Amino acid sequence: MRCGIGIEARQVNELFVNIDPIQAGGRLTADAMKAVIAYGDGYSVCDNCRKPNRLDYINKPPIAEFHRDVAAWLNMDAVRVVPGARRGFQAVANTYIRKGDPVLLTSLSHYTEFLAIEETRGIAREIPHDTSHKITADATATKIEEVMREFGRMPVLAFIDHVDYQYGNMHDVKAITKVAHHYDIPVLYNGAYTVGILPVDGKDLGVDFVVGSGHKSMAAPAPSGVLGATRERAAEVFRTTAIEGDMTKRIFGIKEPEMMGCTLMGATLVGMMASFPQVKERVKHFDRELDNNRIVLEALLSVSGTKILSEYPRNHTLTRVDTVASFDKVAESHKKRGFYFSSALEEKGIVGVIPGATKVWKFNTYGTTSKQAAFLADAFVTIATENGLTLNT
Amino acid sequence: MTFQALYTLTDLRVILRETAPQHSLDETQRAQAQRLLDNLERQVASLKQEILK
Repeated sequence: MRCGIGIEARQVNELFVNIDPIQAGGRLTADAMKAVIAYGDGYSVCDNCRKPNRLDYINKPPIAEFHRDVAAWLNMDAVRVVPGARRGFQAVANTYIRKGDPVLLTSLSHYTEFLAIEETRGIAREIPHDTSHKITADATATKIEEVMREFGRMPVLAFIDHVDYQYGNMHDVKAITKVAHHYDIPVLYNGAYTVGILPVDGKDLGVDFVVGSGHKSMAAPAPSGVLGATRERAAEVFRTTAIEGDMTKRIFGIKEPEMMGCTLMGATLVGMMASFPQVKERVKHFDRELDNNRIVLEALLSVSGTKILSEYPRNHTLTRVDTVASFDKVAESHKKRGFYFSSALEEKGIVGVIPGATKVWKFNTYGTTSKQAAFLADAFVTIATENGLTLNT
Repeated sequence: MTFQALYTLTDLRVILRETAPQHSLDETQRAQAQRLLDNLERQVASLKQEILK
Protein backbone atom coordinates (compact mmCIF):
# COMPACT_ATOMS: atom_id res chain seq x y z
CA MET A 1 0.00 0.00 0.00
CA ARG A 2 1.32 3.45 -0.90
CA CYS A 3 0.67 6.86 0.63
CA GLY A 4 2.28 8.74 -2.27
CA ILE A 5 4.25 8.00 -5.40
CA GLY A 6 7.04 5.68 -4.36
CA ILE A 7 6.19 6.02 -0.68
CA GLU A 8 5.17 2.78 0.95
CA ALA A 9 2.88 3.05 3.96
CA ARG A 10 5.06 2.26 6.98
CA GLN A 11 3.67 -0.60 9.05
CA VAL A 12 6.76 -1.54 11.05
CA ASN A 13 5.09 -1.13 14.42
CA GLU A 14 1.85 -2.78 13.33
CA LEU A 15 3.49 -5.92 11.93
CA PHE A 16 6.55 -6.36 14.14
CA VAL A 17 7.85 -5.93 17.65
CA ASN A 18 10.30 -3.11 17.06
CA ILE A 19 13.29 -3.04 19.42
CA ASP A 20 15.27 -0.36 17.57
CA PRO A 21 17.26 1.41 20.28
CA ILE A 22 16.32 4.93 19.18
CA GLN A 23 12.72 4.37 18.11
CA ALA A 24 11.16 2.85 21.20
CA GLY A 25 10.12 5.97 23.14
CA GLY A 26 9.03 7.96 20.13
CA ARG A 27 6.19 5.72 18.98
CA LEU A 28 3.06 7.80 18.89
CA THR A 29 0.12 7.40 21.21
CA ALA A 30 -3.31 7.06 19.60
CA ASP A 31 -4.03 10.70 20.51
CA ALA A 32 -0.83 11.86 18.80
CA MET A 33 -1.75 9.92 15.64
CA LYS A 34 -5.16 11.61 15.69
CA ALA A 35 -3.55 15.03 16.20
CA VAL A 36 -1.23 14.40 13.24
CA ILE A 37 -4.25 13.62 11.06
CA ALA A 38 -5.97 16.86 12.05
CA TYR A 39 -2.93 19.17 12.17
CA GLY A 40 -0.86 17.96 9.21
CA ASP A 41 -1.23 21.18 7.25
CA GLY A 42 1.63 23.65 7.45
CA TYR A 43 1.11 26.48 9.98
CA SER A 44 -1.89 24.56 11.33
CA VAL A 45 -1.43 25.85 14.86
CA CYS A 46 -1.39 29.45 13.72
CA ASP A 47 -5.15 29.95 13.10
CA ASN A 48 -5.55 31.71 16.41
CA CYS A 49 -2.16 33.36 16.74
CA ARG A 50 -2.75 36.88 18.08
CA LYS A 51 -0.43 39.58 19.38
CA PRO A 52 2.27 39.28 20.65
CA ASN A 53 2.51 36.69 17.84
CA ARG A 54 4.65 34.03 19.35
CA LEU A 55 4.10 30.28 19.42
CA ASP A 56 4.21 29.94 23.20
CA TYR A 57 1.46 32.54 23.58
CA ILE A 58 -1.14 30.70 21.46
CA ASN A 59 -4.13 29.58 23.51
CA LYS A 60 -6.05 27.61 20.88
CA PRO A 61 -4.87 24.88 20.63
CA PRO A 62 -3.56 25.23 24.21
CA ILE A 63 0.12 25.73 23.38
CA ALA A 64 0.71 28.35 26.07
CA GLU A 65 -0.70 26.01 28.70
CA PHE A 66 1.44 23.16 27.35
CA HIS A 67 4.58 25.27 27.81
CA ARG A 68 3.61 26.01 31.41
CA ASP A 69 2.74 22.36 32.08
CA VAL A 70 6.01 21.02 30.66
CA ALA A 71 8.01 23.55 32.70
CA ALA A 72 6.18 22.49 35.88
CA TRP A 73 6.58 18.81 35.01
CA LEU A 74 10.36 19.17 34.52
CA ASN A 75 10.55 21.56 37.48
CA MET A 76 12.21 24.24 35.39
CA ASP A 77 11.18 27.91 35.17
CA ALA A 78 10.71 28.25 31.43
CA VAL A 79 10.35 25.89 28.50
CA ARG A 80 10.38 26.23 24.74
CA VAL A 81 9.63 23.56 22.18
CA VAL A 82 12.44 22.92 19.71
CA PRO A 83 12.89 20.86 16.52
CA GLY A 84 14.71 18.03 18.29
CA ALA A 85 17.07 17.91 21.27
CA ARG A 86 19.93 18.93 19.00
CA ARG A 87 18.31 22.32 18.40
CA GLY A 88 18.16 22.75 22.15
CA PHE A 89 21.90 22.04 22.37
CA GLN A 90 22.47 24.50 19.56
CA ALA A 91 20.48 27.31 21.22
CA VAL A 92 22.41 26.95 24.47
CA ALA A 93 25.77 26.57 22.70
CA ASN A 94 25.14 29.70 20.62
CA THR A 95 24.36 31.65 23.77
CA TYR A 96 27.40 30.72 25.84
CA ILE A 97 30.25 29.54 23.63
CA ARG A 98 32.57 31.86 21.73
CA LYS A 99 35.45 30.99 19.41
CA GLY A 100 38.20 29.14 21.26
CA ASP A 101 36.19 28.55 24.43
CA PRO A 102 36.68 25.16 26.09
CA VAL A 103 33.47 23.18 26.53
CA LEU A 104 32.93 20.02 28.54
CA LEU A 105 31.10 16.96 27.37
CA THR A 106 31.78 13.29 27.90
CA SER A 107 33.38 10.33 26.18
CA LEU A 108 29.83 8.96 25.76
CA SER A 109 28.23 12.18 24.48
CA HIS A 110 25.98 12.23 21.44
CA TYR A 111 27.52 13.58 18.24
CA THR A 112 25.06 16.47 18.03
CA GLU A 113 26.57 17.93 21.20
CA PHE A 114 29.94 17.96 19.44
CA LEU A 115 28.39 19.61 16.39
CA ALA A 116 26.72 22.27 18.53
CA ILE A 117 30.16 23.13 19.95
CA GLU A 118 31.81 22.99 16.53
CA GLU A 119 29.29 25.41 15.08
CA THR A 120 30.28 28.02 17.68
CA ARG A 121 33.98 27.24 17.11
CA GLY A 122 34.35 26.16 20.70
CA ILE A 123 36.77 23.40 21.70
CA ALA A 124 35.41 20.07 22.95
CA ARG A 125 36.97 18.42 25.97
CA GLU A 126 35.66 15.04 27.06
CA ILE A 127 35.25 13.75 30.59
CA PRO A 128 36.42 10.12 30.34
CA HIS A 129 34.19 7.26 31.43
CA ASP A 130 35.43 4.72 33.96
CA THR A 131 35.86 1.00 33.37
CA SER A 132 32.15 0.41 33.86
CA HIS A 133 31.34 3.05 31.24
CA LYS A 134 30.10 5.56 33.78
CA ILE A 135 30.85 9.27 34.02
CA THR A 136 31.64 10.26 37.59
CA ALA A 137 31.86 13.49 39.58
CA ASP A 138 35.52 12.76 40.35
CA ALA A 139 36.37 12.38 36.66
CA THR A 140 34.54 15.66 36.02
CA ALA A 141 36.60 17.51 38.64
CA THR A 142 39.83 16.07 37.24
CA LYS A 143 38.90 17.09 33.70
CA ILE A 144 37.97 20.62 34.75
CA GLU A 145 41.36 21.00 36.42
CA GLU A 146 43.05 19.71 33.26
CA VAL A 147 41.11 22.20 31.12
CA MET A 148 42.10 25.01 33.46
CA ARG A 149 45.75 24.08 33.08
CA GLU A 150 45.42 23.81 29.30
CA PHE A 151 43.39 26.96 28.63
CA GLY A 152 44.04 29.08 31.71
CA ARG A 153 40.28 29.40 32.19
CA MET A 154 37.17 27.39 32.96
CA PRO A 155 35.00 25.57 30.45
CA VAL A 156 32.05 27.82 29.61
CA LEU A 157 29.45 25.04 29.51
CA ALA A 158 29.06 21.33 30.29
CA PHE A 159 26.85 18.91 28.34
CA ILE A 160 25.98 15.90 30.51
CA ASP A 161 23.86 13.01 29.25
CA HIS A 162 21.80 11.43 32.03
CA VAL A 163 21.49 8.19 30.05
CA ASP A 164 23.99 7.79 27.23
CA TYR A 165 23.12 6.44 23.80
CA GLN A 166 26.00 3.94 23.68
CA TYR A 167 25.37 1.82 26.76
CA GLY A 168 22.12 3.21 28.11
CA ASN A 169 23.98 3.73 31.39
CA MET A 170 22.68 6.19 33.94
CA HIS A 171 25.19 8.79 35.10
CA ASP A 172 25.11 10.71 38.38
CA VAL A 173 24.12 14.08 36.93
CA LYS A 174 23.35 15.55 40.33
CA ALA A 175 26.85 14.91 41.66
CA ILE A 176 28.47 15.96 38.38
CA THR A 177 26.47 19.21 38.39
CA LYS A 178 27.55 19.96 41.94
CA VAL A 179 31.18 19.73 40.82
CA ALA A 180 30.60 21.82 37.68
CA HIS A 181 28.78 24.51 39.65
CA HIS A 182 31.64 24.59 42.15
CA TYR A 183 33.65 25.95 39.21
CA ASP A 184 30.74 28.17 38.02
CA ILE A 185 30.17 26.09 34.89
CA PRO A 186 26.54 25.95 33.72
CA VAL A 187 25.23 22.45 33.03
CA LEU A 188 23.01 21.30 30.21
CA TYR A 189 21.22 18.07 31.10
CA ASN A 190 20.75 15.92 28.01
CA GLY A 191 17.56 14.02 28.69
CA ALA A 192 17.07 12.60 25.20
CA TYR A 193 16.64 9.14 26.74
CA THR A 194 14.98 10.19 29.98
CA VAL A 195 12.54 13.10 29.51
CA GLY A 196 9.27 11.29 28.75
CA ILE A 197 10.65 7.94 29.86
CA LEU A 198 11.29 8.35 33.58
CA PRO A 199 10.75 11.17 36.11
CA VAL A 200 13.06 14.19 35.62
CA ASP A 201 13.27 17.02 38.15
CA GLY A 202 15.57 19.78 36.92
CA LYS A 203 15.73 21.66 40.21
CA ASP A 204 16.50 18.54 42.19
CA LEU A 205 19.31 17.72 39.76
CA GLY A 206 20.46 21.33 40.07
CA VAL A 207 21.02 21.75 36.34
CA ASP A 208 20.73 24.98 34.37
CA PHE A 209 19.09 23.47 31.28
CA VAL A 210 17.03 20.38 30.58
CA VAL A 211 16.81 19.15 27.00
CA GLY A 212 14.38 16.43 25.94
CA SER A 213 13.66 14.76 22.64
CA GLY A 214 10.04 14.53 21.52
CA HIS A 215 10.65 11.97 18.80
CA LYS A 216 13.02 9.87 20.86
CA SER A 217 11.25 9.78 24.20
CA MET A 218 7.99 11.76 24.29
CA ALA A 219 5.83 9.80 21.83
CA ALA A 220 5.96 12.71 19.39
CA PRO A 221 6.59 13.13 15.66
CA ALA A 222 10.06 14.20 14.47
CA PRO A 223 11.65 16.64 14.74
CA SER A 224 10.49 17.74 18.17
CA GLY A 225 11.91 18.36 21.61
CA VAL A 226 11.92 20.63 24.62
CA LEU A 227 14.43 23.02 26.14
CA GLY A 228 13.88 23.98 29.77
CA ALA A 229 15.86 26.59 31.68
CA THR A 230 16.14 28.12 35.12
CA ARG A 231 14.86 31.68 35.47
CA GLU A 232 18.38 33.11 35.37
CA ARG A 233 19.41 31.12 32.29
CA ALA A 234 16.07 31.61 30.54
CA ALA A 235 16.72 35.34 30.45
CA GLU A 236 19.92 34.58 28.54
CA VAL A 237 18.99 31.78 26.16
CA PHE A 238 15.44 33.01 25.54
CA ARG A 239 16.43 36.66 25.22
CA THR A 240 14.26 38.63 22.80
CA THR A 241 15.36 40.24 19.56
CA ALA A 242 16.99 43.66 19.56
CA ILE A 243 17.76 43.99 15.87
CA GLU A 244 16.38 46.80 13.72
CA GLY A 245 16.33 47.33 9.96
CA ASP A 246 18.42 50.38 9.08
CA MET A 247 16.12 51.43 6.24
CA THR A 248 12.69 50.20 7.23
CA LYS A 249 13.31 50.57 10.98
CA ARG A 250 11.47 47.31 11.41
CA ILE A 251 11.75 45.58 14.75
CA PHE A 252 10.47 42.12 15.59
CA GLY A 253 8.63 42.26 18.89
CA ILE A 254 9.32 39.46 21.32
CA LYS A 255 10.69 36.93 18.87
CA GLU A 256 13.63 34.99 20.30
CA PRO A 257 16.78 34.77 18.12
CA GLU A 258 17.90 31.39 19.48
CA MET A 259 14.49 29.96 18.59
CA MET A 260 14.56 31.68 15.18
CA GLY A 261 11.11 33.03 16.05
CA CYS A 262 8.58 30.25 16.22
CA THR A 263 9.75 26.64 16.22
CA LEU A 264 7.23 23.79 15.86
CA MET A 265 4.23 25.08 13.96
CA GLY A 266 2.06 22.08 13.18
CA ALA A 267 1.73 18.33 13.58
CA THR A 268 5.02 17.96 15.46
CA LEU A 269 3.93 20.22 18.29
CA VAL A 270 0.31 19.11 18.49
CA GLY A 271 1.43 15.48 18.34
CA MET A 272 3.73 16.09 21.30
CA MET A 273 0.94 17.91 23.15
CA ALA A 274 -1.58 15.16 22.45
CA SER A 275 0.77 12.49 23.88
CA PHE A 276 1.71 14.56 26.91
CA PRO A 277 -0.99 13.34 29.36
CA GLN A 278 0.01 9.72 28.67
CA VAL A 279 3.71 10.59 28.76
CA LYS A 280 3.29 12.23 32.17
CA GLU A 281 1.58 9.08 33.38
CA ARG A 282 3.98 6.57 31.83
CA VAL A 283 7.09 8.00 33.48
CA LYS A 284 5.59 6.95 36.82
CA HIS A 285 5.63 3.32 35.70
CA PHE A 286 9.16 2.94 34.41
CA ASP A 287 9.61 -0.02 36.76
CA ARG A 288 7.26 -2.03 34.49
CA GLU A 289 9.51 -1.24 31.55
CA LEU A 290 12.54 -2.47 33.48
CA ASP A 291 10.63 -5.66 34.36
CA ASN A 292 10.00 -6.31 30.66
CA ASN A 293 13.63 -5.53 29.87
CA ARG A 294 14.71 -8.01 32.53
CA ILE A 295 12.61 -10.80 30.95
CA VAL A 296 14.44 -10.30 27.65
CA LEU A 297 17.88 -9.93 29.21
CA GLU A 298 17.52 -13.09 31.27
CA ALA A 299 16.66 -14.97 28.10
CA LEU A 300 19.69 -13.53 26.30
CA LEU A 301 21.94 -14.34 29.24
CA SER A 302 20.65 -17.90 29.20
CA VAL A 303 22.42 -18.31 25.87
CA SER A 304 25.93 -19.42 26.75
CA GLY A 305 28.57 -16.78 25.95
CA THR A 306 26.27 -13.74 25.88
CA LYS A 307 27.40 -10.74 27.89
CA ILE A 308 25.62 -7.53 28.89
CA LEU A 309 27.94 -4.59 28.26
CA SER A 310 25.64 -2.04 29.88
CA GLU A 311 25.50 -1.62 33.64
CA TYR A 312 23.65 -4.53 35.20
CA PRO A 313 21.11 -4.69 36.77
CA ARG A 314 19.68 -2.20 34.33
CA ASN A 315 18.48 1.31 35.10
CA HIS A 316 17.28 1.84 31.54
CA THR A 317 15.76 -0.26 28.78
CA LEU A 318 18.34 0.73 26.12
CA THR A 319 20.88 -2.07 26.41
CA ARG A 320 24.15 -3.03 24.71
CA VAL A 321 25.03 -6.68 24.46
CA ASP A 322 28.08 -8.67 23.38
CA THR A 323 27.23 -11.88 21.52
CA VAL A 324 30.67 -12.58 20.06
CA ALA A 325 30.80 -15.86 21.97
CA SER A 326 27.20 -16.83 21.14
CA PHE A 327 25.23 -15.59 18.12
CA ASP A 328 28.37 -14.49 16.28
CA LYS A 329 29.75 -18.04 16.42
CA VAL A 330 26.85 -19.13 14.20
CA ALA A 331 27.64 -16.34 11.71
CA GLU A 332 31.09 -17.84 11.05
CA SER A 333 29.60 -20.78 9.18
CA HIS A 334 26.04 -19.71 8.33
CA LYS A 335 25.30 -19.21 4.63
CA LYS A 336 23.78 -15.80 5.41
CA ARG A 337 26.83 -14.93 7.55
CA GLY A 338 25.95 -12.29 10.14
CA PHE A 339 22.67 -11.52 8.45
CA TYR A 340 21.17 -14.80 9.63
CA PHE A 341 20.42 -13.23 13.01
CA SER A 342 18.35 -10.21 11.94
CA SER A 343 16.79 -12.39 9.27
CA ALA A 344 15.72 -15.03 11.82
CA LEU A 345 14.36 -12.29 14.07
CA GLU A 346 12.39 -10.75 11.23
CA GLU A 347 10.92 -14.12 10.30
CA LYS A 348 9.63 -14.32 13.84
CA GLY A 349 8.19 -10.77 13.68
CA ILE A 350 10.97 -8.80 15.35
CA VAL A 351 12.84 -5.83 13.86
CA GLY A 352 15.21 -3.16 15.11
CA VAL A 353 18.52 -5.04 15.39
CA ILE A 354 20.97 -3.74 12.78
CA PRO A 355 21.08 -6.26 9.89
CA GLY A 356 24.38 -8.12 9.98
CA ALA A 357 25.16 -7.31 13.61
CA THR A 358 26.04 -10.38 15.67
CA LYS A 359 28.99 -9.17 17.72
CA VAL A 360 27.97 -6.08 19.69
CA TRP A 361 24.50 -4.60 19.26
CA LYS A 362 21.89 -2.56 21.05
CA PHE A 363 18.19 -2.90 21.57
CA ASN A 364 15.45 -1.19 23.52
CA THR A 365 12.40 -2.94 24.95
CA TYR A 366 10.68 0.30 25.99
CA GLY A 367 6.95 0.26 25.28
CA THR A 368 6.60 -3.47 24.80
CA THR A 369 3.77 -5.23 26.60
CA SER A 370 4.71 -8.05 28.99
CA LYS A 371 3.36 -10.49 26.39
CA GLN A 372 5.64 -8.98 23.75
CA ALA A 373 8.60 -9.13 26.16
CA ALA A 374 7.95 -12.83 26.74
CA PHE A 375 7.66 -13.29 22.97
CA LEU A 376 11.03 -11.57 22.46
CA ALA A 377 12.65 -13.70 25.15
CA ASP A 378 11.33 -16.88 23.59
CA ALA A 379 12.46 -15.80 20.12
CA PHE A 380 16.07 -15.21 21.20
CA VAL A 381 16.26 -18.57 22.95
CA THR A 382 14.63 -20.36 20.01
CA ILE A 383 17.04 -18.81 17.49
CA ALA A 384 19.94 -19.87 19.73
CA THR A 385 18.79 -23.49 20.03
CA GLU A 386 17.80 -23.75 16.36
CA ASN A 387 21.38 -22.79 15.50
CA GLY A 388 23.03 -25.20 17.88
CA LEU A 389 24.04 -22.77 20.63
CA THR A 390 24.03 -24.07 24.18
CA LEU A 391 21.89 -22.72 26.97
CA ASN A 392 23.16 -22.16 30.51
CA THR A 393 21.46 -24.51 32.89
CA MET B 1 -17.78 12.22 10.75
CA THR B 2 -14.65 11.88 8.58
CA PHE B 3 -12.44 12.41 11.62
CA GLN B 4 -14.53 10.06 13.75
CA ALA B 5 -14.02 7.24 11.27
CA LEU B 6 -10.31 7.99 10.92
CA TYR B 7 -9.93 8.09 14.69
CA THR B 8 -11.74 4.79 15.07
CA LEU B 9 -9.31 3.28 12.58
CA THR B 10 -6.47 4.83 14.56
CA ASP B 11 -7.68 3.07 17.71
CA LEU B 12 -7.74 -0.18 15.75
CA ARG B 13 -4.22 0.55 14.56
CA VAL B 14 -3.08 0.83 18.18
CA ILE B 15 -4.55 -2.60 18.95
CA LEU B 16 -2.49 -3.98 16.06
CA ARG B 17 0.61 -2.37 17.55
CA GLU B 18 -0.05 -3.69 21.02
CA THR B 19 -0.56 -7.22 19.77
CA ALA B 20 2.19 -7.38 17.10
CA PRO B 21 3.40 -9.59 15.62
CA GLN B 22 0.95 -12.42 16.29
CA HIS B 23 -2.19 -10.31 16.68
CA SER B 24 -3.77 -12.88 18.95
CA LEU B 25 -6.19 -10.67 20.82
CA ASP B 26 -7.24 -11.45 24.38
CA GLU B 27 -10.89 -11.20 25.41
CA THR B 28 -10.72 -7.52 26.35
CA GLN B 29 -8.94 -6.61 23.12
CA ARG B 30 -11.43 -8.61 21.05
CA ALA B 31 -14.34 -6.82 22.73
CA GLN B 32 -12.67 -3.46 22.12
CA ALA B 33 -11.95 -4.30 18.49
CA GLN B 34 -15.55 -5.44 18.00
CA ARG B 35 -16.87 -2.19 19.48
CA LEU B 36 -14.55 -0.12 17.28
CA LEU B 37 -15.51 -2.04 14.12
CA ASP B 38 -19.22 -1.62 14.93
CA ASN B 39 -18.66 2.13 15.41
CA LEU B 40 -16.74 2.29 12.17
CA GLU B 41 -19.59 0.68 10.25
CA ARG B 42 -22.03 3.20 11.69
CA GLN B 43 -19.66 6.08 10.92
CA VAL B 44 -19.13 4.93 7.34
CA ALA B 45 -22.91 4.56 6.89
CA SER B 46 -23.42 8.13 8.14
CA LEU B 47 -20.68 9.36 5.80
CA LYS B 48 -22.41 7.69 2.85
CA GLN B 49 -25.66 9.39 3.78
CA GLU B 50 -24.07 12.80 4.19
CA ILE B 51 -21.77 12.81 1.19
CA LEU B 52 -23.95 10.99 -1.31
CA LYS B 53 -27.28 12.65 -0.45
